[in-house]
Amino acid sequence: MTTQVPVRSSARPASAGRRAWTPHVGTIPALLLVLPLALVALLFIVYPLVRLTLDAFTQGDGGLSNFAAVFQSRAILNSLLNTIGMSLVVTALCLVLGGSLAWAVARASRPAVKALLWTSILVPFWMGVVVKSYAWAVIFANNGILNSTLQNLGLTGEPLSLLYTRFAVIVGMTYTMLPYAVLAMYPTMSGFNAELLNSARIMGSSRTGAMVKVWLPLVRPGIIAAGAIVFAISIGFYITPVLLGGAQTPFMATIIGDDIFAFFNYPRAAASSVLLLTFALVVLGTAMRFVGAKALKGGLRA
Amino acid sequence: MSELMNRPARVIDGASRVLGGLLVTAAVAFLLLPAALVLVLSFGTGNRVQFPPQGWGLDRYTEIFSSGNWGAPTLLSFEIAFYTAVGALAVGLPLVFALKRSLLPGRQFLEGLAFAPIVIPISAYAVGMYAVFSQLDLIGTKHGIVIAHIAHALPMVVIVLSTSLEQIKPELELAAMTMGASRSRAWTGITFRLLAPAVLSAFLFGFISSFDEAVFITFLGGAGLITLPKYIFDSVQYAVDPAITAMATLLMLGVTFLMLLGTALRKDKK
Repeated sequence: MTTQVPVRSSARPASAGRRAWTPHVGTIPALLLVLPLALVALLFIVYPLVRLTLDAFTQGDGGLSNFAAVFQSRAILNSLLNTIGMSLVVTALCLVLGGSLAWAVARASRPAVKALLWTSILVPFWMGVVVKSYAWAVIFANNGILNSTLQNLGLTGEPLSLLYTRFAVIVGMTYTMLPYAVLAMYPTMSGFNAELLNSARIMGSSRTGAMVKVWLPLVRPGIIAAGAIVFAISIGFYITPVLLGGAQTPFMATIIGDDIFAFFNYPRAAASSVLLLTFALVVLGTAMRFVGAKALKGGLRA
Repeated sequence: MSELMNRPARVIDGASRVLGGLLVTAAVAFLLLPAALVLVLSFGTGNRVQFPPQGWGLDRYTEIFSSGNWGAPTLLSFEIAFYTAVGALAVGLPLVFALKRSLLPGRQFLEGLAFAPIVIPISAYAVGMYAVFSQLDLIGTKHGIVIAHIAHALPMVVIVLSTSLEQIKPELELAAMTMGASRSRAWTGITFRLLAPAVLSAFLFGFISSFDEAVFITFLGGAGLITLPKYIFDSVQYAVDPAITAMATLLMLGVTFLMLLGTALRKDKK
C-alpha cells in the first residue's frame, strides 16, 4: 500500500510558472521600489535645477541678460572670484591636513591613537554648522579667546581684527570640510598596501622618495576625488561666510540671498546660482574623468 | 637598509617625518579645540563670553530653560527632524532594495541621483528650491521644509542603508525561498530583521541632518518658521548671546550621543 503524500494546495505543479531562483525581484516590483525616489528626485532634485537654469535664461530680459547683469556688477564679480579663490584655499588646506590625518588613521596601530584620531575627525560632524561658526566667532572676536590670550601673554597690545575677515572664513570652512576630506581619502589610504613602501626602500629608495614615487601616485585618485567633493561643497557655503566673514568679502551665497530677499532680483540670483552650479559640475565632471565615477562615489560613502 | 641611504636622504626623511607628525598634531588640535572651548565656556558665568570666564556655574543652562525663547524653536526642530527622518527612510529604504536586489537598468544613475544633494552647492540648490517652492506654495510651510530636508538627508540615509544591505547575503533569502517562503516573506523574515539596526541608524542620521540644517530653512522658511539652527544663526548675527554656549553644548552632546548610537547599531550587525 502506498500512502499518498498530501500535497499542499499552495504548491504549484512544476509546469505552471517557473519560479526564478534569483535574489533579484522582477522589473515591475523594482519600478515600484524606486517610485518614491523617482518622485522626490524629479520634483525636488532635478526640477529645481532645471527650473533654475531655465529661469536664468528666460526671466527678466531673458537670453544672456541675467548673466550680463552678473558680470557687469563689480560686487558680484568680486564675490565670485572671492568664493572660488577661498574655496581653493580651503580645498588645499583640507587635502594637506586631511590627507595627513587619513594616512595617520590608516597607519595607526595603537587602539588609543586610532580612537583619538577618529574622535577628532568626527567632532566637527557632531556640531551643526551654525554651532561650529559660533565657536570660531567666540575664538576670533575682538574681545574673544584668541585676542585676550595674546594680550595676556603680551604678544599684542591692540586686539587683532580676526573676526569678519577672509582668514576667519577660511578657518571656519576648513573646520567644516576637513572631516569630509578625511573620510573621502580614508578608503584609498587604508587600502594602500604598506608593503610597497618596504619594497621601495629595500630597493634603495629613501622614505620620502618612496612616499613621493610609490605612495602618492597610488593614492592620487582618492586625493582628486576628495578635492573635487570639498571644492564643490565649499563654493555653496552660506552660514560660515555670513557669520565669520566681513561685509567687504561676501560669498556668492550671501550675494544670491541678498538678490532674492533684499533686492527682489530673482533672475540675477538664478544666473549667479547657475554659475556656481556650473563650476561644481565642471570640477566634479573633470575629477570623474580622471578617477572614474566609482572613486568619486567611494569618496562620498566612506 | 639605512646603510644604503646617503646622508641628505636621511635628513630629508627625518624632516618629512617631523613635518608629518606636526601636521597630524596640528590637525587634531584644530579639530578638538573649538568643541572643547564651547563646552568649557558653557559653564562660565557673567554676561560676556570670555576666557577664562568671570566665574563658574550653571547660569547659562538655567537661562536657556527659564528664558522661554528656546522652547518653540527646539520643538519645531524636533518635529521637522522626525518627519524628515521618516520621509527619508520611506524614500531611501525601497530604493536600496531596488539597487541591491534587482537588475533594473540605470541603478547607478538612480544611486547617483540620490547622492546628488550632497555635492550640489547648497546655496544654488536652495535658490532652485525657492523657485519651485514659490510655484507650489510651499514657502514658509512646515511640510515644505520637511521635503527640502528629506532631499538634503537622502544621500546620508542611502549611504548608510546600502552599505548595510550590501553586507546581507542574498543567499539567505534564497535559502528561505527554497524552503517555501515567498520573496516578501524572505525579505520581512530575514533581510528586514538583519537590516533593522541600519534602518534605525539611518533614521538617526536623517534626524540629525535635518536638526542641524540651516541653509534651506533660511531660504525657504519664510519669516514664521524658526528652527533651532535658524534661531542661533539669527542671534549670532546680531550679538553673541552667552546662553548659546550652553545650547551648543547640549546640541553637541545630544548629537554625539545619537551618532554614537547610530554607529554602534551599524557595527553590531557585522
